[in-house]
Amino acid sequence: MTPTLAPTSSDVLPADDRAGAVLRPRPDLVICEQCDAVHQRISLEPGQTAHCQRCEALLGRGHRFSLRGLLALALASLTCFVIGNATPLVSISVRGNVNSISLPQALWHTWEAGEPLSAMLAGATALLFPLVVIVLRLYLLLPMSRGRLPPHFMPAMRVLRFATAWGMVEVFMLGALVAVVRSAGLASVVPGPALFAYGALTLLLTSASAAGLHRLWHLGGEMQREARAP
Amino acid sequence: MKKARAPRQVFSSGRCSGLYNCATCGLVSQRADGRRPQDGDAAHCPRCDSPLHVRVPDSLERTWACLLAALLLYAPANLMPIMSTANAFGHNEHTILGGIGELWNAGSWGLAVIVFVASIAVPILKIAILSFLALTAQRCSCANGLPRTRLFRLVEAVGHWSMLDVYVVVLLVGMVQFGPFGEVEPEPGLLAFGAVVVLTMLASASFDPRLLWPDEIDASSHA
Repeated sequence: MTPTLAPTSSDVLPADDRAGAVLRPRPDLVICEQCDAVHQRISLEPGQTAHCQRCEALLGRGHRFSLRGLLALALASLTCFVIGNATPLVSISVRGNVNSISLPQALWHTWEAGEPLSAMLAGATALLFPLVVIVLRLYLLLPMSRGRLPPHFMPAMRVLRFATAWGMVEVFMLGALVAVVRSAGLASVVPGPALFAYGALTLLLTSASAAGLHRLWHLGGEMQREARAP
Repeated sequence: MKKARAPRQVFSSGRCSGLYNCATCGLVSQRADGRRPQDGDAAHCPRCDSPLHVRVPDSLERTWACLLAALLLYAPANLMPIMSTANAFGHNEHTILGGIGELWNAGSWGLAVIVFVASIAVPILKIAILSFLALTAQRCSCANGLPRTRLFRLVEAVGHWSMLDVYVVVLLVGMVQFGPFGEVEPEPGLLAFGAVVVLTMLASASFDPRLLWPDEIDASSHA
C-alpha cells in the first residue's frame, strides 16, 4: 500500500461534456466503503490489517505474497481444479454395483432429471466461476509478475471481481461432505481424489483472494500510466 | 493479528469532503472544482473508468424488491420437496426439513445442525435483518450505527452458505443411480430454494451500508 504521487491535472480524465467533472486521484486517502469515513492511507506490514475507526470495517491488509507467490498459488489452484473435475468425487456401491461420479457427471444427471436451472446454478457457482477466477488470475499475474500489463486489463479485472464474489467452492466442499454422510446410510461410500482436490482448492483460493483486488488495480494503474508516458 | 489504526479522529464523510470512492477499484478521487459530488454527475473513476456514485443508486428500492421476491419463494422452497428417492419398494419425497430429520435420526447431529442453520435459519434471518436495516436506513436513523453495520457484515459473511442444500441434492442425484436398488431425482422445490439464496445475496449486495451512517447532506435533505 505505498502511496503514489498524484498526477498533474493534464493526464487525468478529460472533462465530461455534460457535467464538467474533472477528477483528481487522491491515493493518499482511503474511504471506508461501509460508512464513508475518510482516512489517511498508511503502509501496512505483511499480515497487518487496517480497520475503519468508526465502523470497524476492514480497510486494507498488508499482503503476505509476492506477485510470483500469487502466481504459484494460481498454478496450484489450476492443478487442483483439473483433478477435482476429472476424477471421481465419491465411489458408491450397492449390491455389487459400483458407481463413481465426478462433479460434471452429477451436474449432467441433475440436468437430465428435469432440473436444468438448478444444475446451472450449482454448475456456475461450484465449477464455472472458480474456473474463471483461476484462469483470469493466471492471465493477469503471468505478465504482471514480469512488470508488463496484460491486454484488456480492466475488463479482465471486472470479470474477476464478479466471479470471485459468486464462486462458492468452500460451500460446495461442505455440501459434498453432507452428501457423503447422507448416502453412507444406504451404501458403502469411498471418497475419491476429487474430494481432496476440492478441499485443497478451497484453501488455495481463500489464501489467494484474501488480500482483495485493490493491489492489482493499483499495480495495473501504475503500469498503465508508465505505458502512456513517452 | 495486529491491528493498525489510521491516524484520524474526525469522521468527515467522503461525500461531504468532495471525494469519490470507486466501488470497483477502491481509488479515492476528488473533483478538481471542489464542488460536492452528487448522483447524476456522470463521473468516472480516473483509474478504472467505472462510473462513480456517492451512494449505490436506488439501493433501498432494489433491496426491498429482492427481499419481497425472496420472501414469496421462501414458502415453496420449504414446503415443496427438493428431491425424491425411489427404489423397488416405493417412491418418497423429501423436503429440506425432512432431510435434516434424516441426518438427526442417523446420529449425525452436528451435520443436522449445520444444515438446519444453513438452509432454514440463515435465509429467514437474512430477510429479517435486511428488512430491519432497510427500514432504519429509510428513516435516516443515526442511532446504533456500529451494531447495525455489524449485522450487515454478518449477513454478507454467511450469505452464500445457504447454497449448501443445492449441492447436496445435485451430488446425491449423481451418486445414487442404481435403478431398482435406488434412485435419487431432483424436484422443483430445489429451484425455489436456490432462487431464495440468490435473491437474498442480491438483496444484501444492493443494500448500501453507508445509509446506516447519515451525514450532513442526509440530515439537511431529510429535515
